[in-house]
Formats: sequence, C-alpha cells, structure tokens
Amino acid sequence: MKVMSYMAQWRGIAKEAMDRTAIAVKFLCCLHITDAYFCSPTHIYGPSMLPTFNMVGDIVLAEHVSQRLGKVRHGDLVVVRSPSDPKKSITKRIMGMEGDTVTYFDPMLGDATRVAVVPKGHVWIQGDNIFASRDSRHFGPVPYGLIQGKVFFRVWPLDCIGVPGQ
Amino acid sequence: MGFRNLGPLGSFVKEGWEKTFSLVKFFCFLHVVDSYLVTWFVTLGPSMLPTIDLTPTLFLGETFSARSGKVTRGDIVIIRSPQNPKMMVAKRLVGMENDTVTYIPNPDEPDKQETIVVPKGHVWIQGDDVNTSNDSRNFGAVPYGLIEKRPFWRVLPAKDFGPFWKH
Repeated sequence: MKVMSYMAQWRGIAKEAMDRTAIAVKFLCCLHITDAYFCSPTHIYGPSMLPTFNMVGDIVLAEHVSQRLGKVRHGDLVVVRSPSDPKKSITKRIMGMEGDTVTYFDPMLGDATRVAVVPKGHVWIQGDNIFASRDSRHFGPVPYGLIQGKVFFRVWPLDCIGVPGQ
Repeated sequence: MGFRNLGPLGSFVKEGWEKTFSLVKFFCFLHVVDSYLVTWFVTLGPSMLPTIDLTPTLFLGETFSARSGKVTRGDIVIIRSPQNPKMMVAKRLVGMENDTVTYIPNPDEPDKQETIVVPKGHVWIQGDDVNTSNDSRNFGAVPYGLIEKRPFWRVLPAKDFGPFWKH
C-alpha cells in the first residue's frame, strides 16, 4: 500500500515538473525568436568606434528586421559577423553600398587616399576612429549576407542612453 | 481579464485567443527545430552535377556543423551567395583557411592555372561541374560566416531517397 501511495505522489511531482519544463521551454522559444528576428542586446568594446562608442564598453540594442528587408544604408551602424573570424561579431558604420566608389584614407599606409568600388552584394564598413580600426580598408568589402543587425539604441552607460550619434 | 462580462461573445473571443496563442507557440517550436536541429531546402541547377541532379531536389540539412566550426574540405555546404544576399547556393568546400588552392580560372584553357592562399576566416568553394558553376573561381574566397547548413539526407525525387553524407 505504501508503494502505491509513493507512486501516486511521484506521478503528481513528475506531472508538475513536466508542466514547469514546458512553460520554461515555451518562454525560451519566445526569447529566441525575439533575439533572432526582432531585437537583441550587444556589448561593444574597443577603440575603433570612438567617439560614437567608448572603449570600455557600451550595451546597445540591435534590430534584425532592416537587414532582412534590405533597408540598411550608408551611415548605418551595423553588427557584422567578422570575415576573418566567424565566431566574432564587429560593429562598424556602413560607408558604401554595392556599386559605390569609396574614397578612403588609411593612416598606417601613408597619406595617400585610395579608391575602391564596392562589388555587387557587398558593403564597405569602417570604424569611426580611422586611426584604430580594422575594417574594410584592411579586409576589403564584406558580403551583405554577413550583416547581422542594425544598431538603433544605446542602453549603457546610463548617461548616454539614446540613439547613437551620426 | 474582462471576458466574462461579454457573455457568449466573450467565450468566442477567449477561445479564439487561446487557439491563436497555441498556434503561435507551435510555430515558435517548429522554427526553433528548423534553426537548431533539422531544416529542409530544395536545390536547383547544374553546378553540382553529377553529385546533385539539376532538377529540383529536396534535402534535409543540419546547421549544427556550420555553427560549431566542424565543416571541412570535401563537404557540400549551403552558403549565402556573396553576390546576392537573398540567394543561397550549394557548393563543395575545396579549401579551408590557410590552404593553398590551385585552380583553373577558365575551363576553356585547362593549362592556365592559378594558385591562391585562402585568407583567414574564409573558405574556397567550387561546384562539381566546373563548366557551369559560378563559384570561388569567379568571386574569390568567401567568409566562413556565410556558411548556413549542410545536407545529410536526400528526400525527393523518391528514387534518390537516402543518406547524403559521404558524397
């Protein structure tokens, strides 16, 4: 008899555990959809985007809708999967769309300005701090398919909350 | 919520809301399976003959290998086209980063060969049918980040149903 009552208790606990797990799974699914398709937070650090973003780290929100609809354009801040290390994401500004002729200046290669034409399906990205940024001036134009999202809002540090500057 | 006050209309609305919510949860679940476990896609075109037929072929694919960095030379992968971000292409991975690849840029001149070292973070892709394939010989090495999925099972046409990993 005791065995029966233990089993009944166990069944009750197992059912409750299943229900709680189902709720947790549904919540994580919703979180994943939001993170992948709508908006996700990103932590940016490094000197390549001074003065727009500071060196020690900013937390920004990036939306993933514009790049799917093809609405990313010149001057946008974008999160891009790095062409030299696919595990890393970098945040830079778009300075040329496909078909554009980009004139750029790389302080590490002297004073000459160079010209490049952005091929079809690619974009030219540069950091705002041209003296300390590894970008398209070094690894060339990147395919549009590597763009992961567009930065539209900064949430940290608290005294700079708002839309990042131009 | 104030559904009780609406009477019989309220119960319709409540049921409609619950059904919609269940449908949304189901689609979320399907989507997560598609993104992280098993996905499907249809290939078209002659560039991978004779491995993949030129008529539409339905495959099951997995995204796990690409995400964890486990795709290697010789694998057939689905990669987002560097020329048109809305399109995906199926090609074979011929070279990984830091490999030296020797290729013939123009199939009409088989004696002219070029050698290139694949840059860091990039891969070199080629179609099995060198005459009809638009691949790295035309647009250069592509960043690894563009690799999306890898086929592991061929579903349609029915005569080709079966595993597709050692091709």
